[in-house]
Amino acid sequence: MIDFVWLTLIKATPVIYAALGGVLSERSGVINIGLEGMIAIGAFTGVCVSYATGNAQAGAAAGVLAGALLGALLGIAATRFRVEQIVAGTGINLIALGGAAYGLVVVFGQPGASKQVAALGTGGETAMVVAALVLAVLLHLFLFRTRGGLHVRACGENPRAAEVAGIDPLRVRLWATATGGAFAALGGVFLAMAELDLYSDGMSAGRGFIALAAVIFGRWNPLGATGAALFFGAFSALQYTLQRSGIPSELMQALPYVAALVALAGFAGRARAPAADGIPYVPVR
Amino acid sequence: MSATASRDAAIALAIVVVFGSVAMLVAGVSPLDGFAALLIGALGSSQEIAETLVATTSLLFPALGVTLAFRAGLFNIGAEGQLIAGGLVAGLLGERLAGPAIVAIPLLLAAGALGGGVWGALAGLLRARFAANEVIATLMLNIIAALLAGYLIGGHETTPLPPSSWLPALIPDTRLTIALLLALALAFVLRWVLRATVIGYELRAAGDAPETARRAGIDLAKTAFWTMAASGAFAGLGGATIVTGVLHRFNLALSPGYGFIAIAVALVGELDPLLVTVAAFVFGILQNGAIGMQAAANVPRDVVTAIEGAIILVLSGRRAFKR
Repeated sequence: MIDFVWLTLIKATPVIYAALGGVLSERSGVINIGLEGMIAIGAFTGVCVSYATGNAQAGAAAGVLAGALLGALLGIAATRFRVEQIVAGTGINLIALGGAAYGLVVVFGQPGASKQVAALGTGGETAMVVAALVLAVLLHLFLFRTRGGLHVRACGENPRAAEVAGIDPLRVRLWATATGGAFAALGGVFLAMAELDLYSDGMSAGRGFIALAAVIFGRWNPLGATGAALFFGAFSALQYTLQRSGIPSELMQALPYVAALVALAGFAGRARAPAADGIPYVPVR
Repeated sequence: MSATASRDAAIALAIVVVFGSVAMLVAGVSPLDGFAALLIGALGSSQEIAETLVATTSLLFPALGVTLAFRAGLFNIGAEGQLIAGGLVAGLLGERLAGPAIVAIPLLLAAGALGGGVWGALAGLLRARFAANEVIATLMLNIIAALLAGYLIGGHETTPLPPSSWLPALIPDTRLTIALLLALALAFVLRWVLRATVIGYELRAAGDAPETARRAGIDLAKTAFWTMAASGAFAGLGGATIVTGVLHRFNLALSPGYGFIAIAVALVGELDPLLVTVAAFVFGILQNGAIGMQAAANVPRDVVTAIEGAIILVLSGRRAFKR
């Protein structure tokens, strides 16, 4: 039972990080379909820098920075260029996944997977699991108990009113999306450098998409999204517990995604997104 | 060609040249050599041109599906899963079916369209019936399709189809089949439907001005459902032509991401079926040329995926989405 709970936490952690990133950007009014790519780029960059420096912490920091930059790229596209965010996010995913696959060959001279690198170890793994839960609480307090959080939510609900009140919605959205990218990249760092010690192609395996679903089930609320991520984590953990039961592994792997789909259908009517979520804002000035 | 479309094409070309050059330089290859290898790999012989047209065909089916959905204001990100579903149904039916070509081929193609259509309709149903976001639904269905296929084929591939179920070749001794003609015909049909029929008008109205369309009596839920089903059928038909025309079996190497690249194809083609067809040929050159570029110039072919992503990102702000 303890094993199952721990495994649930391990499987949920990358999704929690990505979902928190999604909550932050969507609360500011930017939908981030690119979470999947930001997980991948965080994982890949972390492994590369750890490989080059031999220092896992430096790698982790670089991974987070890469996620923030990719988030900023989406943020600039969404604010300055007012793109259709869902389509743009799909592009971000292809850039990250294709770029990492290309980078594997250039950096490590082999396709498919990187060499093993200095990683964060069991201590780092435990720390990152705890940190994910702490980050969820902190983000919740930030969004609902601070002035800054109020500004973020204002930009996601009614950017015009926010602007009249002296807030710059485009600036807030850009920062929220970049920070959200950094959060998602932490999920990637966890996958590649805490759970494992290498990057392999397709490692993100749809976790960024599960995170998007978790954002909805969590009603755009950090603690709710974390709860949803834990729910999906439990389905992933179940897969290992039931492995010996003779149920085909592909069907077990599909469980969290089917659960997300069913929950989406059952939940969608009752969940309300931030009013200006995904809608480009044209400033008055 | 409209001014916007030619500007989009110029932007896309600039991205290919700039990003491609950087990627080649990083990999230690001169861009001149790299692009030469790419072009020779795509167009250097009749064999290579045929393979480029095979990639064009495989991209055009899902790209037409994406075009249809986007025109109706539906973000079908699920062409990949719909293509796999269509290919899977055609492959599973095809390995069990032995009959004259005149029966077998239309049956397998129809089965593929049905498979993809059902997969798209699932997302359409979730949206129409439960107001569930079609983006998340199609993203989930992509993953589920691949896992379900892996399970149903036992992790490897189906047994090969009997030659009577193979699509006839267009050029002997190549993998180019009449699927290309079918895709071209569909592009013309889709253009006609969008421009000159009531269904096409309602579909565009639902995409351009949903509130106005609703007030005018258009059933938005019903339109969403059938559009997703039709969009999925295009992709599924594409999957079936890969199974019956290219691989002669189903396996998961069926698509190197055609369903996602199709979004770039549809965008560069400004969501106009005929321009999308031209765009599919250009992306066919990229896809097939990348193989030659990797072999001859040692530039990892995956860079093409990243370039296609950059094209999607840059064009996501273009006119097609300005309501």
